[in-house]
Amino acid sequence: MSQAAAQAYLNTRVSVMSTRLFRPSELAELAGLGLDDLAARFGLASLIDEHVTVRAKSRAVEQALISLLLAELAILVRPMTAAERALIMAWARKYALFNLKTLIRGKLYDLDQQEIRQNLYDLPPHVRLPHQELFRAENVLELLRQLEQGPHVLIARQAREAYEQRREPFALEAAIDQRYYAGLARQVRQFHDASLQPLQHLVGTLLDREDVQCLMRFRFSYRLSPSETFYQLVPSFRLLHRDRLLELVELETFEQVIEALPAPLDALLAGASNLIEIQQRLHHYMADEARRVLALSASAVARALAYLILRESQFRALFALVQGHLLQLPTQLVGVAVGLAEPVCPLAPMTAKAA
Amino acid sequence: MLMPRPMKHVRLLTLTEDLPRASLTLAETESFHPDPRPPAESELVNLPGRPYRELFQQARSRLDKIARLAPLPRDPEIDTIRVVGAEELEALNRWLGEAWAEAFQFEEQLRHLDEAERSIREQESALANFANLNIDLRLLRTKTRFLDFFVGSVPRDNVRQLEGAVALAKHLLFTYMTTADHAHVIIVGPPGEDEAAQLGSVLNAAGFQALPIPQGLDSEPREIQRQIETRRSGLIEERAALRRQIATWAEAHQDRLVEAERTLALAEPFVTLDPSIRSAGYLACLCGWVPAREVANLETRLKETLTLPFQLDARSPRPDERALVPTVPGKSRLLAPFGILVQQYGIPQYGEIDPTPLFAVTFLLMFGMMFGDLGQGAVIALVAWYLRGKLGPFTVFGLLAGASSMAFGLLYGSVFGYEDILPALWMSPIHDPILMLKLALGWGVIFIITACLLGIYNRLVTGNLRGAVFGLHGAVNLLFYLAFLAGAYQLAQTGSFGAVPALVAVLSLIALALNQWSHLSGPTGEKVLIVAIETLDTVIVYLSNTLSFLRVAAFSLNHVALSSAIFTLANLMQTTGHWITIVLGNVFILVLEGGIVMIQVMRLEYYEGFSRYFSGDGHAFAPVRLRMARRAGT
Repeated sequence: MSQAAAQAYLNTRVSVMSTRLFRPSELAELAGLGLDDLAARFGLASLIDEHVTVRAKSRAVEQALISLLLAELAILVRPMTAAERALIMAWARKYALFNLKTLIRGKLYDLDQQEIRQNLYDLPPHVRLPHQELFRAENVLELLRQLEQGPHVLIARQAREAYEQRREPFALEAAIDQRYYAGLARQVRQFHDASLQPLQHLVGTLLDREDVQCLMRFRFSYRLSPSETFYQLVPSFRLLHRDRLLELVELETFEQVIEALPAPLDALLAGASNLIEIQQRLHHYMADEARRVLALSASAVARALAYLILRESQFRALFALVQGHLLQLPTQLVGVAVGLAEPVCPLAPMTAKAA
Repeated sequence: MLMPRPMKHVRLLTLTEDLPRASLTLAETESFHPDPRPPAESELVNLPGRPYRELFQQARSRLDKIARLAPLPRDPEIDTIRVVGAEELEALNRWLGEAWAEAFQFEEQLRHLDEAERSIREQESALANFANLNIDLRLLRTKTRFLDFFVGSVPRDNVRQLEGAVALAKHLLFTYMTTADHAHVIIVGPPGEDEAAQLGSVLNAAGFQALPIPQGLDSEPREIQRQIETRRSGLIEERAALRRQIATWAEAHQDRLVEAERTLALAEPFVTLDPSIRSAGYLACLCGWVPAREVANLETRLKETLTLPFQLDARSPRPDERALVPTVPGKSRLLAPFGILVQQYGIPQYGEIDPTPLFAVTFLLMFGMMFGDLGQGAVIALVAWYLRGKLGPFTVFGLLAGASSMAFGLLYGSVFGYEDILPALWMSPIHDPILMLKLALGWGVIFIITACLLGIYNRLVTGNLRGAVFGLHGAVNLLFYLAFLAGAYQLAQTGSFGAVPALVAVLSLIALALNQWSHLSGPTGEKVLIVAIETLDTVIVYLSNTLSFLRVAAFSLNHVALSSAIFTLANLMQTTGHWITIVLGNVFILVLEGGIVMIQVMRLEYYEGFSRYFSGDGHAFAPVRLRMARRAGT
């Protein structure tokens, strides 16, 4: 297949698949459905029926949604070039890293093997880590040493060095996340064609979102210093580039950071008083930008990534609705989880120097 | 030889307590291929071997990891076959866990030594680099009243981010050297507890490795070099000491580790069979496939070894199970290399004819016909014999191919390309090329008809009646081909295709088209197009496949023509040049033409033969067996 034909094919594929996305109003409609109706509509009924415990039901639904997302990803990457495929796979690597974090936590806290296994996602071969070998590792160090032998060498080495210096999970997981986003940004820089600009826009938005969330969390929840916070962030292509991050991490209060954010983030987050609210608004912002790329961009790979980001986000919302029903959570709380209701958080506005 | 070895489906009902013993017996007989399908009885749902398998896998993994450091003999002998109980396996696993914890420390120490050596190499490079700087480097070694210095290396990917982070801690970062993975940096800034704490945390996160500045930095370069060499020798000694320590450790644990290897080998059959075992209460069920002639022996062995009652049922495979029945490979040494080549295409499904003997005969006939030369055939056979150690089972292949080439060489009267030394038992191909082409065509027709008949037979025995009649290369296809051949023959003889062959060919094509139509769905136009193309394809495929065999004659002619070309060249030279050209020419023919003929024969076999009658989607008989041999006489 020629490059032009592959692009046309991929664009058509994405357009056909994007009809599966919920309409903006559809989520509210879904939130009003009971568990049976919801399960029947998305073909999850048998999963819910065949498992006994709430935990098992919830896990089966989550696994099914992830499998569906990654199956769609596998279809989309087929006609892609090597660079395009590498970018999409770099994005999907997060699922392998979820498993890696689960394994690390399991080894750190010496959890039962069965328990660790129950918490691992079953991923397709092109995404998954060499689980069996990692699973047999006896401690975190051995696990990371083993991972260094494969394609995750950069993430594993950084994580191991962080772990050897400070034997606590925060440093390790922060290193893994930082490497993940740095890897994603590096993949975007490999493009030198018409896809570069839309990809910078899309992945830049993703990095902006992560940077704001991490900055707020590290500075004001974990009380890290500006330099420690800055080191964990990944400069974005779009709004929160390196110099701006250097300025932002030095600010002392939550409000100061929001005020100093570049437009449109400042207006978007104005009045937000807690991390959940910020997270929710950024989530909507990311979805809007992804929708824009999906609708307007000519780049097939950017549209494919936008589709996957939206699809993932909608699956998360769907899972939250199912989870809400399974755990019999209040409607208001489920509404907050899926972004239909404003979060009400009792936390006072935070400052970096608060005790 | 052509037919598959008959198999039986066996079901062993035993008490769960006796399962490990039963597994060992099944492994000993090497005749039980497990069937992982759940039994029909819905009560048999438990997986009694699962905890045992978990334990085994962890122990196996630990022992394999230890063996990286303390190599174990590959095949320690087993004195007595005995059951390894769960408690014994658990105790072994626990001990292996402790042993691995010790071994892992050794591994880590070795890695740290590797890193220290890398650090020395980088230090050498860095100090060479410092020599060009016009500053007093002794100052870098200690803190001053006004400035803190950090000299070291960080992964290259982290430098840019670290530069920003240290700037926030009021420090400056200078990169003075970069290597493939790392950047060497100097970080300088005001002293202070807050700054130091902040910076320390960031440097840790960035994987900063401090670079020790030697005491004698301001002294002679030779002195610095000496210090580095001293450190390097120290590391070499440390490594040697560590190796000795590891060897002592391995020696101290050797017997126990070998015993662990034995225990795991004895535990393995039960673990291998685990997916095929189901239980309910005390009753366990184990299903699998056994060669029919081995069932009685298996039952006898079970009676000898099991202490508790058991029941062994055997039945023939049902038609719907054919795809699941494993195929036992032939054991003929003569056919072994041909079997390997057949397996590259696939394994015969149970019930299908094993194509190996047919493949061997036709392969050798075609190879000899295309590459017939007494001298060159002898060289092929001699080289195969000479390289028998490296060729393994393919020695026989080389010997037979050489023999076939020699036999046809006698028929053609050809020795190293000379046609006038040996009188031909038949004739040289070049003397009557048309006859050679006719023979090749006739051979191709027989080959294709035989392949179609085998294909029809294979489908009939696997219960695929429709496929046998209407399928690709089925009975209707064969009918069309025979009519086509008859028509073509009449056309060549009388100039007319003939009404009967034409009618049969057209009717068979219509039958194929109607069958194709009934299998299609979609718009009528699309169906018409597909059916038309498929029907045309049938005609073209049979015509082109038959003509494809002309290459058998073409290569026999080519062989003579190539030899003539070499003689022509050789005759242009003096005596020495003549013989050098003859020798090199023969080597050229042997390597290049021999290789091409080999590929062409394989192509004819795979494409014109196997694709007609051999599905290749079966699976090989893989009985559960003990990984290690028992000591002789026990």
